[in-house]
Amino acid sequence: MKHLAAAAFVAGALALPGLALAADYSIMAPAGPGGGWDQTARAMQEAMTAEGISGNVQVINVPGAGGTIGLAQFAQEANGDPSRLIVGGYVMVGAILTNKSPVTLDAVTPIARLTGEFEVIVVPAASDIKTLADLVTKLKADPGAVSWAGGSAGGTDHITAGLLAKTVGVDPKLVNYVAFSGGGEALAAVLGSQTTVGISGYGEFQAQVEAGALRVLGVSAPERIAVVDAPTFKEGGVDLSVMNWRMVAAGPGLSAEQVAAITADVQKMAESASWKKTLETKGWMNTWLAGDDFKAQLAKEIAATEAVLKDIGLVQ
Amino acid sequence: MDTFALLMQGLSVAAQPINLLYALVGVTLGTAVGVLPGIGPATTVALLLPVTYKLDPAGSLIMFAGIYYGGMYGGSTTSILLNTPGESASIVTALEGNKMAKAGRGGPALATAAIGSFVAGLIATIALAFLAPWVVKFALAFGPREYFALMVLAFVTVSAAFGDSTLRGLVSLFIGLTLGIVGIDLQTGQARMSFGIPDLLDGVEVTTLAVAMFAIGETLFVAAQGKRAPETVEPVRGSLWMNASDWARSWKPWLRGTIIGFPIGAMPAGGAEIGTFFSYAAEKKLSKHPEEFGNGAIEGVAGPEAANNASAAGTLVPLLTLGLPTSATAAIMLAGFQQYGLQPGPLLFTSNPQLVWGLIASLLIANLMLIVLNLPLIGLWVRLLTIPKPWLYAGILLFATLGTIGANPSVFELGMLLVFGLLGYGLRLFHFPIAPVVVGLILGPMAEQQLRRALAISQGDFGVLFTSPISATLLALAALALVVPLVLRIRGRGQLLAQIASDAD
Amino acid sequence: MIEPMAQTTPKRRPDWAALLVAAGLLALGALVAWDASRLGSGGAYARIGPQTIPYAIAVCLAGLAVWTAIEAALGEFPQREQQDKLPILWIVGGLVVQMALIKFAGFSIATGILFAMTARGFGRVSIPKALLSGFLISAAVWFVFARLLQLTLPAGPIERLMIEGAKLLATAFNPQAGPAA
Repeated sequence: MKHLAAAAFVAGALALPGLALAADYSIMAPAGPGGGWDQTARAMQEAMTAEGISGNVQVINVPGAGGTIGLAQFAQEANGDPSRLIVGGYVMVGAILTNKSPVTLDAVTPIARLTGEFEVIVVPAASDIKTLADLVTKLKADPGAVSWAGGSAGGTDHITAGLLAKTVGVDPKLVNYVAFSGGGEALAAVLGSQTTVGISGYGEFQAQVEAGALRVLGVSAPERIAVVDAPTFKEGGVDLSVMNWRMVAAGPGLSAEQVAAITADVQKMAESASWKKTLETKGWMNTWLAGDDFKAQLAKEIAATEAVLKDIGLVQ
Repeated sequence: MDTFALLMQGLSVAAQPINLLYALVGVTLGTAVGVLPGIGPATTVALLLPVTYKLDPAGSLIMFAGIYYGGMYGGSTTSILLNTPGESASIVTALEGNKMAKAGRGGPALATAAIGSFVAGLIATIALAFLAPWVVKFALAFGPREYFALMVLAFVTVSAAFGDSTLRGLVSLFIGLTLGIVGIDLQTGQARMSFGIPDLLDGVEVTTLAVAMFAIGETLFVAAQGKRAPETVEPVRGSLWMNASDWARSWKPWLRGTIIGFPIGAMPAGGAEIGTFFSYAAEKKLSKHPEEFGNGAIEGVAGPEAANNASAAGTLVPLLTLGLPTSATAAIMLAGFQQYGLQPGPLLFTSNPQLVWGLIASLLIANLMLIVLNLPLIGLWVRLLTIPKPWLYAGILLFATLGTIGANPSVFELGMLLVFGLLGYGLRLFHFPIAPVVVGLILGPMAEQQLRRALAISQGDFGVLFTSPISATLLALAALALVVPLVLRIRGRGQLLAQIASDAD
Repeated sequence: MIEPMAQTTPKRRPDWAALLVAAGLLALGALVAWDASRLGSGGAYARIGPQTIPYAIAVCLAGLAVWTAIEAALGEFPQREQQDKLPILWIVGGLVVQMALIKFAGFSIATGILFAMTARGFGRVSIPKALLSGFLISAAVWFVFARLLQLTLPAGPIERLMIEGAKLLATAFNPQAGPAA
C-alpha cells in the first residue's frame, strides 16, 4: 500500500511538473515553525527542490519537548521508509536525557551533521565585566550573584554554562541559570541588564554585538572564527569548546543501499549552490560530517552530555 | 521630513497595480489559512513564505505583509461566526462577537472587527515608523519582575470582568491554572502533571483548549438541548451594516485597543493575547452598557480586535530595531527578512532605509487590502448562519478538527480536543464560565515563570518586586483594582441605606 | 453523564450533582499535590521551586471544593436544563471514529464520517446523504489545504484517487509532460 502510494506520488510528480502534487521526501522538523530545526528543514526542502534532487519535499512540524516527541513519532512511522527524514541536533541529545525519553537516537539512522553554531557569553556594553577572566573571578567569589540568561533548562546554553563552571572548579549545581523561552526573551533580558550575562548561539546576539550594545566575553569555538571578533574560551583561560550542531537522520530498518542512496542525496544537497547560499544568508557554519565519523562523534557527545547533566543535577 | 519622503517613496512602489495584486493574493492566502482554528499567523507565514520567494524583492515583501496581516485577521471571522477562535489572540473576540452573531448582529460585529483592525493597524504601523526607538526603550525596561506585576494586574482586572458568580469564575480559573502546570518546567526541566505521557510534555496547547471548549463544548451543549433550541439563527436583525450607535460605541474602543495593544505587543514577553484581555476588561469598565457584556456588547469586539492588530504591528518594533524575534511569528519573519536581504537590528533603519520603509508601506497597503477584501464579504459570511443546524454544526466540527490535524497530525491531539470538548460541555451544564479557563492557561504559566526568574535573579529576595518603579506601580494598580470595587460596593450599600432612610421620612 | 435534576425539585435541597463537582475539584487538587510531591527540588536561588505553585493551586482547589460543596448543600447552584443524551453520543461517537480512522483511512473518510454523525446528532437527516456530502466536502477541503496550501493532512484512498485523477487529467491535456520536464 505504502509503495503503491509512493509510486503514485512519483508518477504524479513527473506528470505534473510545477504543480505540487507529490512528495518523495518528507522531512520532519521536531519543533514548531520558526526555530532552528524548522528553518533547517525548510532550507533543505528548498535546496532539494531547486537542485532537482527531489520532485517535491514536504516539511512536517511535530513540536515538543526538545524534539523528543517528534523523534518518538518518527522512529515508529518511518521504520523501513526511505522517503522519511528528520532534522535534529545537540539540543535533542540533552532533551532525551532530561526527559527520560524512551526513544533515543539509537532508534534512528543518523545520516549527516549539516550545520553548527558556537555559543557566546555576552554582557551589556556598560557592564563592569570586561573579560572572561573577570567573569570567572566573580563566579568563583559568589556563584549565585552571577545570573545567566539562556534557553530552556538542560539545553545547549545551560550545558555550556555548567561545563564552564565545572572547568573553572565551581560546582555546576551552583550556577544561577535563568531559563527563558525563546532566544528573543533571553536577549531582551541581557539588553535590559536584567541578568549578569547572557549565553546563547552567536546568531542570537550578532546584531546587538555589531551595534555595540553587547560585548562578547568568549566564544565556545576551539579556535577563533571569522564572524566573531572576540577571544575563544581557551584564550580567556577556560579550556572548553562546545558546538550546537544540527543533523539529519533517516528512519530505522533501512538497508545499506537505501542509507547510501539517502546519504548521496543529502550530500548532493549540502554541496549545492542553493544550500551554500542559504548558509551564507543565515550565517550558518558548514559542519558536514557523515557516515561512521559522525556516528563516533555522536556517541562521544552523548556520553559527555550525560556526565554534565548529572553534574548540574538535571539527570539522576 | 526625510522619513516622510522615504515613506512616500515606499508607498508609491507598493501602490503599483502589480504590487497591489500581490497584496491581494497575499491577504487572500493568509486569510484562507489563518481562519483555521489552531493554525495561527506563525504557521500561516511559515507555510506560505516560500510562495513569496519567487517574486522580486518589492513584490515578495508586499505579499508577505499581506499574508501576515491576513493570517492575523483570519481568526476573528471564525471567532465571531462559529465561536471557533482561529488563534489565541482572537479568543476574547469570540466572547462578545459570537453572542452578537447569534442575536442577528453578525454584520456589525464583523464590520467593527474589520474596521477596528484597519484603524489599529494603520495607527500602529505609523507608530512603528515614527516611535519605534522610544517604544523599544520602554519595552526593554521590562524584566521578569515587571512582567510578573503585569500578569498580576491582568489576573485581577480580567477576573473581575468575567461572569456573575465569584465561586464559579474562580473554579474555572483554577481549572485553567491546573492545566497550565502540565508539561516540562522551563526552569528545571522536570515534567509536571504529565504522568509519563510524552505528548503531555509540551503542555496543553492554548488553541486546542480554546477550540475544544468553545466550538466542541458548545456543539455538544446545543445538541443536548434537542428540539428546545431554535432551528435556525436569524442572520440579520436590523441592519447588516453598523448603524450610528454602533459607530459611536466602536470608535473609542478602537483607539483604546490600539493604545493598549501596541506597547504590549512591543514587549518581548508581552504576547498578543494579554493586550486583548486588558482591552476587554477596560471596555467593560468604561462601557455605558456593562449589562450587555456577556450578551453581545459591540465594545467587547471592537476593543480586543484593535488591540490584537496593534500588537501585531508592535511585535515588529523589537524585531526591526533590535533584531529580536519575540514570538514564533516574528522568528519566521526574521527568516523571511533575511531572505529579502534585510538584516534586522539596531543598524537597520540607518543602513537600509529603502527596505524598511518599503516594508512599512507594504504593511499599510496590506492593511488596506484586508478591509477592501473583507467588508464586501460580510454579507456572504453572515449567510453561513442560515445553514440548517445539522449541517452548520457538522461543518464547525469538520473545521475545528481540520485545524488540529493540520497543526499536528496526531491522534492524541484529537483525543485532547474531545476530552476538553466534554469538559467544556460539563462546565456549560453547570453554568461555569468558559473564558477564565483559557485565561488561566495563558496567564498562569507566564506569571509563574516570571516570578521564579525574578526571584532567581534576586537570589530569593521578594523585596525586588516592589523596588522597581514599574512593577511597584503595576502592583499598586492591581491592588486598587481589587479594593476599589469593594469600597464602592460598601459605599453603595451606605447610599442605599441613606435612601431607605430618606424614603421613610 | 450526570443525572439532570428534575425540574420539580424544591429549593434548598442538596444538589447531588453539584456535590459531585465539588468531589471532582477535591480529587483534582489531590492529584496536583501528589504530582508535585514527587518532583525534585531545584531553583535553589529563587527559593520557590517547581513544586511551589502546584502546591498553592492544590490548596486553592481544595478550598474551592469546600465552597462548592457548601453552595451545593444549600441548593444554591443554578438549575440545569433537561439534557438529551442521544445527540451527545452521536457527536462523541463521530469524534472517536475520526480519531480511530484518521491515520489509516485518510482525512476525507474519517472527517466525512464525523460530519455525517454530527449532522445526525442534530436531527433527522438521511445518513447516506450526510455521508456522501461529508466525503465530498472533506475531499474538497483536503484538496485545497493539503495540495494548494501545503498543509500536512493524512492521505487515504480518496486522496490517492484524487492524485491519480489529477495525474490522468494532466497527461490527457498535456501529453508532452514527462520525465524530461
